[in-house]
Amino acid sequence: MSEKLKRPGGELASRPLHFFWIVDCSGSMYGEKIGTVNHAIQSTIPDMVEAANNNPNAQLLIRTLKFSTGASWVTANPVPVEDFAWDDLDAGGVTDLGKAFDLLAAQLTIPPMSDRALPPVLVLLSDGQPTDDYKKSLDKLLHLPWGKKAVRIAISIGQDAEDSVLTEFTGNRELVLQANNAAMLTKMIKWASTAASMVSSPASRIKLEDKAGKTDSASADDLLSKGGGTAPLVLDMNNIPNPDDINEGDVW
Amino acid sequence: MSRMICGVSVRGASHIRAEKPCEDCYKYQEISDTVALMAVADGHGSDACPFSRTGAKVAVNTFCSVVGGLLANFSDNTELLITYLNREGEVKVAKAIEEEWKRRVWKAHLEHKREVPLNPDGSQKKTAVYRMYGTTLLGLMVLPDFLFAFQLGDGDMMSVDAEHVEPIVETDKILGTETHSLSSENAWKNAVTAVHRRDRDCSQLYMLSTDGFSNSHASEESFWQTCREYFDMVQENGFESVAENLKGWLAETSELGCGDDITVVMNYYDSQADVHE
Repeated sequence: MSEKLKRPGGELASRPLHFFWIVDCSGSMYGEKIGTVNHAIQSTIPDMVEAANNNPNAQLLIRTLKFSTGASWVTANPVPVEDFAWDDLDAGGVTDLGKAFDLLAAQLTIPPMSDRALPPVLVLLSDGQPTDDYKKSLDKLLHLPWGKKAVRIAISIGQDAEDSVLTEFTGNRELVLQANNAAMLTKMIKWASTAASMVSSPASRIKLEDKAGKTDSASADDLLSKGGGTAPLVLDMNNIPNPDDINEGDVW
Repeated sequence: MSRMICGVSVRGASHIRAEKPCEDCYKYQEISDTVALMAVADGHGSDACPFSRTGAKVAVNTFCSVVGGLLANFSDNTELLITYLNREGEVKVAKAIEEEWKRRVWKAHLEHKREVPLNPDGSQKKTAVYRMYGTTLLGLMVLPDFLFAFQLGDGDMMSVDAEHVEPIVETDKILGTETHSLSSENAWKNAVTAVHRRDRDCSQLYMLSTDGFSNSHASEESFWQTCREYFDMVQENGFESVAENLKGWLAETSELGCGDDITVVMNYYDSQADVHE
């Protein structure tokens, strides 16, 4: 046996996993809704830290984007989950969802996104209908390489939420989670926060398209979700909380 | 010019934590003093591919068998072999590898008496069986004057000498955790091949690796830097020292990097040493 040599090589790093909270802060969210969002997301942080600690080979980075009249980053740069703190959000104004998609698209472009990252997780919370022309912005977002690959979850808050818009965003009806009261909203936020640990699994998945861009229908059958959408199936959707199981509190 | 080859697979740090096996395989064959075949394969390892470790093993054997067969057929005329590989590498050779892999996988599945899913009309759903064995495949044939590279799915094949670090095959990187697979329908369409002339007057290191190696680096530049430093290390400390340390280095790389299984096969040609050809 020859001598033990020090490992040669360039800088090593775990793979970044970008997680985005995208929160509707329009006037209709005022009161109990935004209060529940603030409390529920705050309470998920310890669980997300623990999940991240269990997988040191993925670096979980969190950002918050809010939209009402206009859109803006609450946390401008990605923050490691262990350093992440939730700043309570206020509600007021209209629902400029398209502006939020524009800001998101700018951050999902390569660069600043790295091509070696894990698929990002986008969690959109909204209780209303967009007041701006969101379609072009959403189309642009979904045509970005990372926009296509992102795991996109929406939480539909209350009965006035526009589920068809949220389904356009997720690409899959099953990933639009219904939250018609505070208890359900808390459960759904907690479930969405676990998406990060599910995405960080390193198992490879078979790409569904060949060079010619034709979908391999057999693999599509096997890998796409039951909803028949195009969202990547990296989530175990069997354990999404069932709204029928929770009757606590008033219905929004 | 003398040649040295070694290969190592390590179970990924996250696979160890999750108590999952290593899904990578490698193989190399030293056909003669100057001709060698090398292959690495990365079984997908997801729930949909429960036998992907077997699929990876079949893949490296298939590459050596199919390309070794070509070598035998063209043994008296390597120029003709170059022409053939240039013309037919991405079609006939790729098709032959896909077909042979699927033939072997099907045979193994039946031999193990594993369940065969059925189509609604009652016929056997072979595509579902192939999927259970899903894997990537990277293979390299090195002859004195040229090399032939084959790649289907993610991973890296790098060539390093005193002045250059470069990929042997240029592939489209797929974002995230998706990859092309030998198990797909018409998998050959996603294969990329290359034929390169070799400079026999300079020392060269060829490195084949599964994607866990490059994914463990902070950037592409860092990965290339690593390839450069492996070459330098071979020159300074000798190939045997590097080969003996490789397993520990790769385990550390996975632990500090992406956590995936890592396999590396290295083939070093020393221009200073003589060998009987």
